[in-house]
Amino acid sequence: MEPSALIYFLVIPAAVSLINLLLPVRAAKALTVIALLYLLVRSIHSLSHLPLLSECGLWGADRLAAFVLLFVHILSLVILVFSLKGVRSEIQRAFFVLYPLTVAFCNGVLLSQHTIAFIIFWGLSGLSLYFFALMGQGDSYSQTAKKTFIIIGGSDVFLIFGFILLAARLPVKEWNLSALQMQSGDPLYYLAFFSLLIAVLAKAGGFPLHSWVPDFSKTSPIESTAFLPSSLDKLLGIFLLARMMTAFFAVELIVKMIIISIGAITVVGAVMMAIMQPNARRLLGYSTVSQVGYMLMGVGSGNPIAFAGGLFHMVNHTLYKSNLFLSLGSVEKQTGSSEFRDLGGIAKGMPLTFLMALIGSLAISGIPPFSGFYSKWMIYQGLLEQTKTLPAGYQIWMLICLLLAIFGSALTLACFVKFLHAVFLGRNPGREKIHEAPANQWLATGIFALFCIVFGLFAAALPLKRLIIPVLAELGIAADLSLIGYYDPLLLTGLFAIVFLIGWVVYRATRVVRYDEIYLGGMAAETRFRVSGVDFYREIRQMPLLQTIYTAAEKKYCDIYELGSKGTFFFSGILQKLHPGLLQWYLFYILLGLLLLLLITINIGG
Amino acid sequence: MILPYFVILPLLAAFLITLLAGKKDDWAITLAFMALISLLVLSIFGFVTMHEETVVYSMSGWDAPIGICLVQDALSLFMLVMINLIALTSLCFSIQYIRHLSQDWKYYALFMLLIAGMNGVVVTGDLFNLYVFMEIALISAFALVAYGCRAEEYEASFKYAVMGGLSSSIILIGIAFTYSATSSLTLARIAEVLPTVDPRLVLWIGALFLAGFGLKAASMPFHAWLPDAHSSAPAPISSMLSGVLIKALGVYVLFRLFFNVFGAPAIFMQLLLVLGALSIVLGVFLAIGQWDLKRLLAYHSISQIGYILLGMGLATPLGILGAVFHLLNHALFKSLLFYNAGAVEMVLGTRNLRKMGKLAKLLPVTSGTSMVASLSISGIPPFNGFFSKLIIIIAAIQAGHPIFAFWAVLGSLLTLASFMKVQRYGFYGEIEHKTPIMMPGNLVRFAMLTLAVLCVLSSLMVLPGIRELTLDPVVDVILNKTGYIRMVCGRAL
Repeated sequence: MEPSALIYFLVIPAAVSLINLLLPVRAAKALTVIALLYLLVRSIHSLSHLPLLSECGLWGADRLAAFVLLFVHILSLVILVFSLKGVRSEIQRAFFVLYPLTVAFCNGVLLSQHTIAFIIFWGLSGLSLYFFALMGQGDSYSQTAKKTFIIIGGSDVFLIFGFILLAARLPVKEWNLSALQMQSGDPLYYLAFFSLLIAVLAKAGGFPLHSWVPDFSKTSPIESTAFLPSSLDKLLGIFLLARMMTAFFAVELIVKMIIISIGAITVVGAVMMAIMQPNARRLLGYSTVSQVGYMLMGVGSGNPIAFAGGLFHMVNHTLYKSNLFLSLGSVEKQTGSSEFRDLGGIAKGMPLTFLMALIGSLAISGIPPFSGFYSKWMIYQGLLEQTKTLPAGYQIWMLICLLLAIFGSALTLACFVKFLHAVFLGRNPGREKIHEAPANQWLATGIFALFCIVFGLFAAALPLKRLIIPVLAELGIAADLSLIGYYDPLLLTGLFAIVFLIGWVVYRATRVVRYDEIYLGGMAAETRFRVSGVDFYREIRQMPLLQTIYTAAEKKYCDIYELGSKGTFFFSGILQKLHPGLLQWYLFYILLGLLLLLLITINIGG
Repeated sequence: MILPYFVILPLLAAFLITLLAGKKDDWAITLAFMALISLLVLSIFGFVTMHEETVVYSMSGWDAPIGICLVQDALSLFMLVMINLIALTSLCFSIQYIRHLSQDWKYYALFMLLIAGMNGVVVTGDLFNLYVFMEIALISAFALVAYGCRAEEYEASFKYAVMGGLSSSIILIGIAFTYSATSSLTLARIAEVLPTVDPRLVLWIGALFLAGFGLKAASMPFHAWLPDAHSSAPAPISSMLSGVLIKALGVYVLFRLFFNVFGAPAIFMQLLLVLGALSIVLGVFLAIGQWDLKRLLAYHSISQIGYILLGMGLATPLGILGAVFHLLNHALFKSLLFYNAGAVEMVLGTRNLRKMGKLAKLLPVTSGTSMVASLSISGIPPFNGFFSKLIIIIAAIQAGHPIFAFWAVLGSLLTLASFMKVQRYGFYGEIEHKTPIMMPGNLVRFAMLTLAVLCVLSSLMVLPGIRELTLDPVVDVILNKTGYIRMVCGRAL
């Protein structure tokens, strides 16, 4: 593959998007599928021709970029397959114009070697998020769009600021991304690092810039939710963090610890919110945030195993979370609701969707042998190993973070028990018969589910060996990974299979099953006595300390957007009081200004 | 020699309008269109054919120290293109907008006088002449602000007149000082003599001019006249005032005086940086709390002028480039935003964001173009505002002012927030409107679409090839004081 061919990754999807403006929707869908399929093949192909750098020096790909690029195309293609049927008709055209365009923007971010080009594509990918949010439904979609774009677009200016600070440090005026470097001890080190970190947290959805994710998940078209916040934005955010940690900065220990702590807080805080949500989309949204915490911890720690685990978890998360969002999308399109109180007992009508969602849930909850377990396990291992090298105080700090993360993992399981129960199991709220989702939908979720299994069973042989370890080697982190402890997913699956087999034999041999009517306190359990998933964990909500925390969280004390807007309007109010519309005040300002100018110029200039 | 026509044409049009227009405004509109189209063609022709040359025209054949000279260089032509372009779109917008108020030729006469004043300020090479043209523009602006004849409009116009008068007096005192020190009113001649006079006097003059023209540019703390005046005026006039008037009378003159005449003294550059940063941040904080759309836009003008002043104060080629580019971009998107506000006001009869609501379907052109303009002013790629702000931020950091760059970043964040508010309440709100008062006509939509397209196209000016033809000559003129003296005095003296 010629390096100049990299430009196809931008030009083709952008051109498809333009053509889709004119084509009938059906043709637009077909064209997009063909284009994305072609690009997927190309991105696989590009893996064996690395590193690539175009002659003009504007575009290039190393292993990290090519690795992320591959998953951008896998995800966009599969989510596109899901979207072929079921996108609301009034937004269909806009959707299929924006979709390939977004892919082009993300590819632009990954392949840009020029700082300004990177900034522009990063900003454009945020803009497409805003337009997807404007395609939403419900009362609050425009509020969501506003909030989303204030956080995302607002963080972009910090990205610009951080990058320019970095670039200003170069001895010659140069904008090549690979040349950017800042040593610790530079007076602008922290300013530059945390400016970029703001952009990472906003894009990937880490605390405290996470609050747009659950809102976006609630109101936007569900395909776009699977597409952006749970997939592409994660990839881009963590991609930038990986670059920061390995190339742009010589990262100090304290900075690493801060990122790990942000990660741990994100894991626990978000999952605590997730388990209380009465709406399935918001639950998934919060859980998306929570998972970012692991990636931050892994990639931010700088330990090779944890770094690899972080990248692996990023990929795994995009796969199973897209699976879950899309499965929920199938359910929603069949039932018309994503509120837990309206759902339940759908597994019988939609067995395939249930199976896919089950696999996704097991993967995200970190149940071996699925993919989520493997990557989390790597992150924990890496962090533990890191702890050994730390000074005593830091060791305790790190262990607390680690404990929080493990606790978060348990809560994730709890969260998805609720999800599965409330959506698929439990009792039907008296609904008519439900049909299985169309084939394109379960095919899409099926592919993702397959990935969850394959990446769990063959983690070491496939994704790690083929994709991630070469990335680490190229970045100079580690040539190979030697994992501590012994975990063989195949053996474990074999053992699981044997246990199931024994159980099944016992069941077949004895088979004493009695089916009965359900009674509640001696009365026939009518539909109105049905227990929906809404109050699944109400007891936790009412525990003494937690109650205060939850009340505070519901009042949005943890939402930086709300706090920021309160502060802004407070300050704005003060300034407005100084502008009462009275001419004499204004004349006073002018004269005062003139006097000050005269005083300053005469005193300092003279 | 096209230079005098930039003043003669609009003055003649204003005169003929008062003479010819009968009870209906048809003649007035035709005359105004003819004048403005020829002005725009002339200015574009001038800009394309200038070849980075400076042309000096001595009025009535009297040479510079005695007579008045007009100067045409890249900076003045750049301003002329901008003024006449916005004026033409504003005229397109005016016809339906003003007819729904009244059928009045007086509006067009005043409008042409406003143009004559602004063009005059830009082309003149004489300080006192500049003052006279400035007053012509201002007096027509006072009248146009009060054009709606409602109480709050009179109040706004009165306040504007008082504060404008105060600043004009400050400028006049500055001119008197200058004349007493240099015995000349020709800008180039002043520039030549100024290094020989007492430096303290130069500081006095500089401070007076900074305050006086700072008020015309609506920089903090001289900004208080702007929100009332710009929000009370009819929408096409608001766009003229916010889009070009504050730039022609304020920013342009600051560029001319502090760079070509004073030679960018460090103390004033520092002051411009501070005034710029102050305007950016305070302006945007004031804007974000507004619910009156036009008032919100007016406060944003203060904030955006802050960016231009910041770029100017950096006094590096890149900073000036950013400032000049932002000058143009702001004219484009701010005028467009005022047209959007005006169109919504025509359709719904309100400027209150809370009362607007679902307009995306009802007014597709208005809401589409307002999205373009909002994203432009918020500095979102690929729209023009992104690039000019980016250049200014880069210039600030490269010049060693990361703190000022940070204020620009903060301002940008809050600008985005406040335009997200405009979009959310103004165009994607909850209220459904079934019975619009009237729908925007073709010319109104044409005006909005033209500017929206330009908001995207002007981004291309950052590309090196195009930049070298358009923005770089302007920057060269600004930074080249001796060149200005030589070009003007060398030929005219």
